[in-house]
Amino acid sequence: MPKIAYYPGNVARAASMEVEDCIQPLCKTLGIELIELPDATSDGGNIIKQASSKLQHALVARNLALAEEKGLDIMTTCATSHGIMKDTMQDLNSDPVYAAQLNNLIARSTGVEYRGEADSWHLLHYLVEEIGLDKVTDAVVNPIQLNVAPYYGPNMQRDGFCGNDDPFMPTYLEQLIIALGGKPVSYDLKCQSVGSPSLLTLEKPVMSLISSVISDAKSNGADLMVSACTVSHANLDSYQTKAGRKTGKNTSIPVVHLAELIAFAFGHFPDRFAQLRTRAILIGG
Amino acid sequence: MTVVAKVWIEEDCITCDACQDIAPEVFEVTDETSKILAAVRTDGTFDRNTGKAPLAGEFGAEYGELILEASEACPVEIIKFELVSDGAEVTAVEAPAEIAADAVAPAAEVVAIAGSASAELLSMMEGDRSLAILFGSQTGNAAGLAEKTAKLAANYGLIPTVYDMDGFDASTLASHKRTLIITSTWGEGEMPDNAESLWQTVSSQSPSLSGVHFSVCAIGDTAYDEFCKAGVDWDEKYQSLGANKAHDIQLCDVDYEPPWAIWVAEALPKIACVDSSGTLQIELLDQMIAYGTSGDEEEVSGDFAPGTIDKAELTVTLELFRYCPTAAESGWDTLVCSVPANASLQDLLSTVKNNVDGSLTFRTGDGTGSQTSGVRVNGRLVLADITAISEVIGADGRIKIEPISGYPVIRDLMVDYSKFEERRMKAKPWMSSSAREGAYIINGDAVGVMDSADAVTLHSISDVKSYHLVHSMSDTVAYDSNYEGPGLHLQRWNRIMDPRSSEKYKNSLIASLNNATGVWGEADLASIARYGQEGKTASNGLNNIRAYILNQTKYRGPHGRLVKWYGRSVKWTGKLNETTLYRQVLGPVGLISNIFDGVSARMVLGFTRTGGPPIRSLQALILPPAGIGKIPNMFNSKVKNHHQVVGLFNEIDQRF
Repeated sequence: MPKIAYYPGNVARAASMEVEDCIQPLCKTLGIELIELPDATSDGGNIIKQASSKLQHALVARNLALAEEKGLDIMTTCATSHGIMKDTMQDLNSDPVYAAQLNNLIARSTGVEYRGEADSWHLLHYLVEEIGLDKVTDAVVNPIQLNVAPYYGPNMQRDGFCGNDDPFMPTYLEQLIIALGGKPVSYDLKCQSVGSPSLLTLEKPVMSLISSVISDAKSNGADLMVSACTVSHANLDSYQTKAGRKTGKNTSIPVVHLAELIAFAFGHFPDRFAQLRTRAILIGG
Repeated sequence: MTVVAKVWIEEDCITCDACQDIAPEVFEVTDETSKILAAVRTDGTFDRNTGKAPLAGEFGAEYGELILEASEACPVEIIKFELVSDGAEVTAVEAPAEIAADAVAPAAEVVAIAGSASAELLSMMEGDRSLAILFGSQTGNAAGLAEKTAKLAANYGLIPTVYDMDGFDASTLASHKRTLIITSTWGEGEMPDNAESLWQTVSSQSPSLSGVHFSVCAIGDTAYDEFCKAGVDWDEKYQSLGANKAHDIQLCDVDYEPPWAIWVAEALPKIACVDSSGTLQIELLDQMIAYGTSGDEEEVSGDFAPGTIDKAELTVTLELFRYCPTAAESGWDTLVCSVPANASLQDLLSTVKNNVDGSLTFRTGDGTGSQTSGVRVNGRLVLADITAISEVIGADGRIKIEPISGYPVIRDLMVDYSKFEERRMKAKPWMSSSAREGAYIINGDAVGVMDSADAVTLHSISDVKSYHLVHSMSDTVAYDSNYEGPGLHLQRWNRIMDPRSSEKYKNSLIASLNNATGVWGEADLASIARYGQEGKTASNGLNNIRAYILNQTKYRGPHGRLVKWYGRSVKWTGKLNETTLYRQVLGPVGLISNIFDGVSARMVLGFTRTGGPPIRSLQALILPPAGIGKIPNMFNSKVKNHHQVVGLFNEIDQRF
């Protein structure tokens, strides 16, 4: 049974508990053992970085070190968290002197030591590259059977951050949608930011970013959007009415997280899936 | 007396200023390259003088010695010149090596060598004398060595061809009986990008290489654990596939030229002793060394091209964005064509324009990375005049070319930079220096000096080829016409960090960056950071501007509150508390506005969101809903060993 440390990110166990609800059963279905890291902290969300890069690096390196202690890689459902972990690993690998100083500091303050051995995985890349889409297909009980627009966001679409997928013309999420019995919708803005870090401070452009992504997906025939990012998923959903009102675009569409879509296809929470299908097909957003 | 007739600058200037320091009357180093001043030229133009216009009047005599000195001092050897000997004949000095784009180089004609070699050696040198030099290169160092090796190979009667590993047909490896491999190592023991594909193919197909003689020169850095691993891998792979090692592998550290010189002097004569049947006649080695090092350059004559970068043709499905302003119509043209992989995108576009559709409009560069030659290709932002087709082509052979975002499109791929330039002028990103200590150079003039660490920092924080392209990296610029964009901000950050800038100037720059059109106007730095090393440089620069401003303004304003309360909530429990964050940043008015904007309704109803205990939604009845998604936690439990988190905060940043 494949074993991997699980990092829920900043919101999966707070405002986006539906992700947490779904990740556990879907991994159980696929035979993936998720190992908890009860000491793991917030990764700083690239917000703490604006005050101190070093502090954010230390928080992330400590989380990675906690996985290393167990001899495991780390997996997350959040594209932002995955991007931050990969970015931190890249920064520390590129500057061994800085990495050594930071590691001394972490070891002194917390007793754990970051050795750079644990890798970070996003759920999407882990399923495609480590588990295999054939295994995912085999586990499907309720095929999705909807036109699904994949949303990647910018955080993990970087060279070296998204496995063997193309960062600028990715297809992994589309492949997964097909494996789950859905029909992927092609649209241009699937990697565009929806401005999550500035949601509270920069309303106008953020609402424009949100509405442009949704309206692009809708105009290309999407019944449903699936997001690889926990934070963006919540933005696209909760703020879509406001974004539509501010920009005058049609932004009404159901938005779910990747973990939800997989869990539903595997037969978990059939009542929720039934509601979602009804909303997507009959009611809309 | 040295009299210089012409002087010109080749490509790949690293703008080190060495030439300008030695002969400021002749050279001026701009941000992109060194140039020859107009005042000393007969054509009165200020550029690299690639047209080789002669020097005017007595300047060739007056500055001849200095030009020679500058040429010798140039670390990348790109200053070329022609001498006038006693005012008579013009002598070419170090004629630049021509590199054909895709054609095989004309073979060097080996002429009479009687008297310098035995009949046995001459007999051995009959027939096929081809030499394949394969390079794997990330930064161009290995490619440069491959060219130099090719130059020297001709001395041994070999006919060299330099092959970029990218696009090299693995099935032809066995046909190259004489092979030299020069490769760098990238990252932690990885192949350079251009060698990865060939390596994977060879590893998976394991072609027999019996009858092949080879040697490897590996470049690396002893600071890394996997020193020269790529070269070692090739060396072992060739042996395992049955190839014969003509000479031991040479491992080169950062200062790679001296060990390469040793290797090339020993490996070339040995590989040259491989006859046309593929047999190594090592007994002729001494004669071959004598022959190759005779130093008589007249042994080789003819229209000699020392090396060829030979790459396969690629079949490309080209999708071109088209926009006609007159009809206000846009669409896509699709063409299928066959192109040399190492041709640039600009070559490709020019070919289409010249042969298919003369109305195709795009900006051209001078082949050195012109700032305004940017296009978006398969999602990537690149400068068309320096980007090879092979670097951007998709796995399916598709190349989709669009105009870069963030600028109005004039026609097809040509965008309008005028607003960007107007804003740049308004931002005044040029140097406004303060008086400071300096030094005296040899002619007695005073010059400013800069600490080398400062110079390195300054270079690294704005090490991007094009601010225009950086502007386009931001997803925000397309949706906020007031936002100035990261290109201009990065340029100003460079001035702020420059120790030569006056305090008054720095303060004015900081003030101009600290507003909604400034650095706080960027909605997501991640959208910039994804564009390779340059994107990361720009993103880090903008992040550092924010940190600098927050520190100066004591976290005032919504952005300051966001950072401050994010940090505090993490310090308190190890987790983010969204309720705290939203209340502190938005305030009561902002929270209540969510009710009227429909945000609260979607959160409370959880319309498309699924799951979660109903009590969370009921919180909205007694408190204004905050945050995103479902109503978040009011209070967080602490992570295990929370004291460790507090320890980290206290150790690194006590402001929270």
